[in-house]
Amino acid sequence: MSGYSDDLPLIDRFKGGDQSAFEHLVLKYQDKIYTLCRYMLGNTHDAEDAAQDTFVKAYRNLNNFRPEASFYTWLYRIAVNTCLDYKKRPFFQSLFRKSDEDEDYILEPVSDEPSPEKLYESKQLDLALRKSLGKLSLKLRTVIILKEIEGLSYEEIAEVIDVSVGTVKSRISRAREELKVLMKSFREQK
Amino acid sequence: MKCSKAHKLISLYIDGALPERDVKTFEDHMKACHKCRAEFEEGMELHNLFTSAEKFETPFGFHNRVMANIYLGKIRETARIPVLVRLMEAVAIVIVIAFGILSGGLVTKGYSPDKARDAMASLSLDIFDAAPPGSLGGVYLAMTEVSDEK
Repeated sequence: MSGYSDDLPLIDRFKGGDQSAFEHLVLKYQDKIYTLCRYMLGNTHDAEDAAQDTFVKAYRNLNNFRPEASFYTWLYRIAVNTCLDYKKRPFFQSLFRKSDEDEDYILEPVSDEPSPEKLYESKQLDLALRKSLGKLSLKLRTVIILKEIEGLSYEEIAEVIDVSVGTVKSRISRAREELKVLMKSFREQK
Repeated sequence: MKCSKAHKLISLYIDGALPERDVKTFEDHMKACHKCRAEFEEGMELHNLFTSAEKFETPFGFHNRVMANIYLGKIRETARIPVLVRLMEAVAIVIVIAFGILSGGLVTKGYSPDKARDAMASLSLDIFDAAPPGSLGGVYLAMTEVSDEK
């Protein structure tokens, strides 16, 4: 991932007492962390809460951060663990949370290309993908999101979830296999 | 290359992580085997679907809410009273209540209705003379009594 070298001076400034340096880090990574949380948790409200929690935890622990590790993998690790904690919450707490994946897409008026049919088809595929992701186990979901959505390398994913590179490779392969089956079943339902 | 091995390498090939020495053999197998090619194409289709998958932007004001949460958290931390102090406060309250109960018990020890009546009588204002003879009130009363007699 590019731009990591920019993080170290910001971290040093933060450790020196400059609070605005942390704001720059939030602005830099907020969309990536939020996207990760959206795909991990499947609903807007939890995703925002989890992303908020991630940055608050990062702020509290940044003084203990060691520059030998990369900041973004450290941040992703906090985000993944926060999402896993959200998933472990008691059942009753999730009763009133509606999954975004349950909502059908509402087509917005489009001006020119692509055609409404194509757009509809693409949105349906996106919806099927998100529903399929929601059916994967948390272990497989985490690796495939970090790989395909966040674009992390095998080594970076291994660092984030603290497993070997071999385990990452095999989990990604299994996740793809399971997703293919799930996607097929969603298509057949339509 | 056997189908079972090719099947295991599909994911690595999609990610561009297949070792150079295996790429040629893998591609040759894909050209020759329809079944494996179909699986590979499905994998690529899924990969492309991810590539076009929506990337979300944080809701409006997200960054400000993060900083506000951090700031509020700091205030709460500053205002937080140590557990030991809280414990000492609780112990002090318990001691005061216990002392109140015990001292109340001592006051009411040996209580009887006669004693209570005596105590009430000692508090009565009847023991006081409202207008002693030498006072202004006493002189006034004496004068009014004289005029009444007339």
